[in-house]
Amino acid sequence: MNEHSGFDLQKAEAVSPDPINPKIRAMEVIDTDFHFSPKWDTLRGYLKEPFKSRLFHFPLGSMDYNPEPANEKPGIGQETHGTATTAVDVLRILDQFGTDTVILNPGYNRPQAIFNEPVIAAIASAHNDYLIKEVFPVSDRIKASLMVCHRDPKMAADEIRRVGHHRQFVSVFTSFSALFESIGTAKFDVMLDAMAEHDLVLTAHSEGWFNHFTPLWTGARTWIELFGNAPAGNCMAHLAAMICQGMFDKYPKQKVIFQEGGYWWLPDFMLRLDDFFMSSSGDIALVERKLESGERNLRKMPSEYVFEHVRFSTQPITIPKNRKHFAWMLELCHAQDLFCFSSDWPHQTMDPANWVVENPDCIGEEMQKKLLSGNARKLYTRI
Amino acid sequence: MADYLLGKIEEFPEGKGRAFRAGTRTVAVFRSGAKFFAMANRCVHKGASLCEGEITENGTVVRCPWHNWSFRLDNGQSCHDPQEKIRTYEVRLEGDQVILCA
Repeated sequence: MNEHSGFDLQKAEAVSPDPINPKIRAMEVIDTDFHFSPKWDTLRGYLKEPFKSRLFHFPLGSMDYNPEPANEKPGIGQETHGTATTAVDVLRILDQFGTDTVILNPGYNRPQAIFNEPVIAAIASAHNDYLIKEVFPVSDRIKASLMVCHRDPKMAADEIRRVGHHRQFVSVFTSFSALFESIGTAKFDVMLDAMAEHDLVLTAHSEGWFNHFTPLWTGARTWIELFGNAPAGNCMAHLAAMICQGMFDKYPKQKVIFQEGGYWWLPDFMLRLDDFFMSSSGDIALVERKLESGERNLRKMPSEYVFEHVRFSTQPITIPKNRKHFAWMLELCHAQDLFCFSSDWPHQTMDPANWVVENPDCIGEEMQKKLLSGNARKLYTRI
Repeated sequence: MADYLLGKIEEFPEGKGRAFRAGTRTVAVFRSGAKFFAMANRCVHKGASLCEGEITENGTVVRCPWHNWSFRLDNGQSCHDPQEKIRTYEVRLEGDQVILCA
């Protein structure tokens, strides 16, 4: 009997449900893709001259068409779930989602599409210095990818050599899209040389905004085309270049993590490259790195480079309704060894880690541990 | 199934959701104008709390706070995929009291 109501009913308790699965809170979780966006006024304080005096606002990369305004929810695709501008923000969100360790990626992807490389490089240096001075000292749970102007590999190398020794930098952040030259070409060896000196992972993150400048994607009109579909094709192109142009032969210790380019395409990709390698690999001898080394071909089958050098962050995970299909897809993609959990917080397609533990018929306990933290620990030697 | 007393109508802000523990279930209860709706709190997509969702489409749809999956408040049906549905529960008013059957 509820005395106040006069009803002979049990009173339901009002609750604030925790959407994060308790199993996640009990396991170690490393988030390999979390976007950090310091306020412009903060960054500006770290800019070197003459940029500090001349840049009054954050410079935006331009674009000829962006489907974002067609979505009703404000900020969709960018800071839909919030904005982390300080270490305190980051730690609060880690606790909210049950994350133990995070790798911050610069939220400022867009500068890569500003065709003024010194400006990008200056912002990157300010971003990295802010991390070193005000973010890293707050908690060792916070790691980060170095921000660089990757379109100018020499500038990127200078920045890596300037601050890459800091142990909380675990990788170098680059973007892949149809607009940017493939990171797999020899042009980037200058940057890779510097990375090798510091044992840094190469992060290759999808950058969907800038596809529209290319003839193919100029024809796209919708969010689904530009953000849902385009990154997969771009990702494949960049990965194929890394393999076929001998990047991993020249840099046998270099590891790469692809982010937001998908991965369910991986089985066909590996079979196809291996098949073509068997029948038509003659022109591999003509790529810059092979001309330099005098080698006539790759040292391994293309798929072997994927297993040895490449990992994929998981967000956005797409799970088929058919349970057998999900299990097969995970197996075909060697997810147990190649996948590393990521949330992509705070972007619209953000993934909490629930799915890793809520599909035990497809993802057993050992694989759960590897996806949530084990594979990331093996990949990032500085964690 | 059992009846649960949730509270007075005035305790439910218009256009918002609240979550309640009803036995072993967690149920999201929404007020849309004079009407009340209840459904399982967990989004079938990736597990978000639907009580945090936004009510849209003139008060007929709840949109998941994480990824915008949308479900009709009256029957839990996905607005896009006929195969996706959230379990709904009956809510009735007795005087100024809100009663959930779950």
